[in-house]
Amino acid sequence: MNTAFWIISIITVLGAVLAITLRNLVHCLLSLVVCFFGIAAHYFLLRAEFLGVAQILIYIGAVAVLILFAIMLTRHVTGMEGPRELGGKWWMGASTAGIIGVLLWWCVRREVLTAMWPSSEKAQGLVAVIGKALVSEWVVPFEALAVLLTAALVGAVVIALEEVVRKR
Amino acid sequence: MKFPGKGLLDGVFVTIRNFVGSYFEKDRLVTVQYPEERVSLPENSRTFPFLVYDDEPDKMRCTACKICEAECPPQCIYIVMDRDEKGKPLQHPKVFDIDISVCMQCQICVEVCPFDAIKMDNDYEKSRYGRFDELMEHLPDLLKSNEYYHKIKPIEATAVDAKLQAAAERKAKKLVSPAPPAPGTTPETD
Amino acid sequence: METLYQLLISIKTDTPIGRWLGPVPDWWLRAVAIVVPVVLILAVFLTLFAFLTWVERKTLGRIQNRLGPNRVGPIGLFQPIADGLKILLKEDIVPRGADALCHFLAPVLFLTVPLMLFSVLPIGRGLIAVDLNIGILFVFAVGAASVLALFMGGWASRNKFSLLGAMRSMAQIVSYEVPTVLAAVVVLMAVSAAGKHGVGSLSTVSIVEAQAGGWVNVSGWFIFQPWGLVGFILFFIGTLAESARTPFDLPEAESEIVAGYHTEYSGFKFALFQMGEYLVMIAMSGFTVTMFLGGYLGPGVDLPRMGWLLSIFWFFAKLAVMIFIVILARGTWPRVRVDQLMGFAWKMLLPMALVNIVAFGLWFYLGSGPMGWAVSVALLIAAFALLTLGGTSTRLGKRTYRYSS
Repeated sequence: MNTAFWIISIITVLGAVLAITLRNLVHCLLSLVVCFFGIAAHYFLLRAEFLGVAQILIYIGAVAVLILFAIMLTRHVTGMEGPRELGGKWWMGASTAGIIGVLLWWCVRREVLTAMWPSSEKAQGLVAVIGKALVSEWVVPFEALAVLLTAALVGAVVIALEEVVRKR
Repeated sequence: MKFPGKGLLDGVFVTIRNFVGSYFEKDRLVTVQYPEERVSLPENSRTFPFLVYDDEPDKMRCTACKICEAECPPQCIYIVMDRDEKGKPLQHPKVFDIDISVCMQCQICVEVCPFDAIKMDNDYEKSRYGRFDELMEHLPDLLKSNEYYHKIKPIEATAVDAKLQAAAERKAKKLVSPAPPAPGTTPETD
Repeated sequence: METLYQLLISIKTDTPIGRWLGPVPDWWLRAVAIVVPVVLILAVFLTLFAFLTWVERKTLGRIQNRLGPNRVGPIGLFQPIADGLKILLKEDIVPRGADALCHFLAPVLFLTVPLMLFSVLPIGRGLIAVDLNIGILFVFAVGAASVLALFMGGWASRNKFSLLGAMRSMAQIVSYEVPTVLAAVVVLMAVSAAGKHGVGSLSTVSIVEAQAGGWVNVSGWFIFQPWGLVGFILFFIGTLAESARTPFDLPEAESEIVAGYHTEYSGFKFALFQMGEYLVMIAMSGFTVTMFLGGYLGPGVDLPRMGWLLSIFWFFAKLAVMIFIVILARGTWPRVRVDQLMGFAWKMLLPMALVNIVAFGLWFYLGSGPMGWAVSVALLIAAFALLTLGGTSTRLGKRTYRYSS
């Protein structure tokens, strides 16, 4: 447990905590982005650079931007409307967090998850290993994901087209 | 042969020609580097009036007849005739002030002057460090030579010189041969 | 950085100076090996940015038949200093009701995120700050992350027009990333085709080294292949769009939505936005050079002692040519409208990029000889003709307005 791990973990957890407690929605989103950066840094620490960069590319470059567009298009520009209460009791959140925490602790202690993975390859060939695995062993999920993404893209175009047709 | 994107490439060739040509062809750069070089103004450009003298500043053409002072629409000219000790008017001005913050450059003073003494200058660098007394031009500032007039307005200056020369010759001829016209005959018209 | 660290270690152990200096801990050497490239990158590229503003103004002037700035130094060389002083001394206005933290952080992020791009740019042989084995992917990740700084700038200004401008800029950058990445994919395919056992790498140094060999290290460049030429054009267009240069400079054109996301910024924060934009332009030009024009390769790079100096020279010469082309594009081409921009990216560049990938595959598997050339060139020309025939970019018909009755 070296210092880099602790510093990055503190940043990540701080970002996550701020993301759920800040009042301004855009500030919440920006702390979530900090949290994503922290997770990417964790990936770099674990010598999985490809995953780290993919995390930045996908989560920050795509997911965060998507949330940004959603905020921009649906909120009043100058509004700093506070978060709405969802109407739950405090013990609901606490019990959910407790159950998940116990599960995670058990997994980490019993090394359930790490036993599933083979011994780590040399970091040099990680990208090649992922690439090879994607087209040999995991090709069916890969193709299924491709079909899913294509369906999403086509669906977006259809929704937009429908609106244009309806306006005409 | 037109293909999509050909217009873009043609544009690029035009600009490259401009870029390279600006180093080698002198007339491609249209910039006039102002304090060092100035654009040559056309003949008819005018800013504020000045007084013409023929050979020396004492031989100014102005006789302080005050016609321009009377005709000036915003009344920016102030003239005081020079008088000798006895009070007899000498035919040149002692004070000739033009307020260039008032002058509207209408050229009426030039049109009415019978002696071709006041003409329009084209000097535009009239900035001063004040707004009132500094914008009043006095007689020494206004006197400029006939050579200067030729330099800024050659065609007009030559025409004025020819007119003045012809008038001087006519006057000289009248003085030399003062023969009155015979009664009953029509006088010469010129 | 690795080479510098090894160099320092070898100095410590082998040379008399190292022995005389005594036992220096290794982590000191590593710290020096980290700090020196960082300082060098900051010094070189920020100075290059200042110099570049002068170059751009003079070049644009000459293209437009006038002189550029020539009063402030010998040929106007101190103009960037005058500009810097002017903008430092301007008043820094923060709009009332603006989000102060975001307003402050946006130009900071917009400048520092592109600086990370320079850490994977190989300037010469063995001269790269960090030789990540996922170098190119890092470039695109940084490009994606810089979109956020843009949004922060637009949102924090509390100005409807800034927000709209920021949205349009974000849409432009995100749409043009797709054909850019696909154009880079062709290069990665070529690198792995040239690599041993068909295993390639995403590292920028291996991309450059895959273009080595050939006649005086020049004929191996990817731009001289058909798929490389199309990829170069696509990546170059992506460069122009990512750094919001003409013809894609909607966000900051004088006649557009005031000034887009940096409307409400004055003084030094505005200068930071401009700096970030120029840095993205320099970095992406550098990556174009790396991927298609052979990076630091050129005649004489393989010489034993002087090779790395020549490689620096070749890299900066090629970078200068690319930047000149970008400036020429600014002086030559008109601006595109926002719908033309999006249409161009999604309907023209994206299909061309996909066809380019197929063309590379055909070229490679048909043996990369005349047969491969003929088939891939035919495919590319056919695709280009088909895409531009159908009038897919703009239809000059009656304009329909979506939101008016």
